[in-house]
Amino acid sequence: MRPRLVIAALGGLGLLPAIWKIALAMPAFGEPTGAYGPVVNRLGPPLRHVSNMVGAVNFDFRGLDTLGEELMLVAAVTGTVLLLRGIRGEDLSARPATAGLPVVKRAESTILVSRLLGPLVLLFGFYMAMHGMTTPGGGFQGGVALASGLLLLYVGDGYRAWRTLMRSPLLAAVEGGGALLFALAGFLPMVDGKAYMENVLPLGNIRDVFSGGLMLVENGGVALAVAGGFAMLFLEFLEETRAIDGEDRG
Amino acid sequence: MSGVLLGVLFVLAAVAGTAVVLTRDPRRQVFAMAANGLVLTLLFFVLQAPDVALSELAVGTAATPLLFLVTLAILRVSGSRK
Repeated sequence: MRPRLVIAALGGLGLLPAIWKIALAMPAFGEPTGAYGPVVNRLGPPLRHVSNMVGAVNFDFRGLDTLGEELMLVAAVTGTVLLLRGIRGEDLSARPATAGLPVVKRAESTILVSRLLGPLVLLFGFYMAMHGMTTPGGGFQGGVALASGLLLLYVGDGYRAWRTLMRSPLLAAVEGGGALLFALAGFLPMVDGKAYMENVLPLGNIRDVFSGGLMLVENGGVALAVAGGFAMLFLEFLEETRAIDGEDRG
Repeated sequence: MSGVLLGVLFVLAAVAGTAVVLTRDPRRQVFAMAANGLVLTLLFFVLQAPDVALSELAVGTAATPLLFLVTLAILRVSGSRK
């Protein structure tokens, strides 16, 4: 037995009484302990006219937290893009390469499945992003689904087809525009002297697609930012697989 | 019924998680990770957290494995050129 395994076993043995004690002191499985959830479930529908309480918490009750998360995502994507593009050089990234590195030849079944699933995933992404206030899901999940649907184009039809559709400036505009829309939507109530992000738009009817007022705008902003951000991330990573015309990378 | 389902999913989650750790080939490990993400998605869904389940599905089984796969493809290509 290797020394580190011995040490790990001894450590585990030493911790066992503590783990046992904590396990016994834990609340029963599935027993709700927090007061926040029941309160939101009780007050959410009458106050905000939406049926997805997770969406109401994300975009209304704790909307400012989501704005912070959104900016974190934008910062993370920007950092990744800067790193990858910085190594490659801006000129090289602007135009599509003639070909990607030949990784593996695609099977016909792969192409078929990707072409069938791609539009469906895109449609589902739109659906999920639009119905963020009524059913589970929302801007983030819908946005990732949208980006994944676009990615199926690469899986099915390869680098060139993918690059014909993916334009880096457009993706950057969608990503940044979405985050900006979210941040600016918060200022709208301030025009009227209300607090930042206070829900001043008409709330609509519960279980209606267009219910939630300002939440709808913020949800749309998140959908754009996430779809653009993830597509940008995929694009920059896939750019790494491109073959550079006529020259060896070394 | 839901108790049995939960039990099965908990066992599956433990097995899938262990499989990710024990898989040594990086390419296989990516798929083990995606499978683990799928099991977690089902688990979250059964625990009535569909929002989290959808996030896990999109990020854990689609986005992250893909980024890993592309990285591995690049490493393989540049490794074979040297």
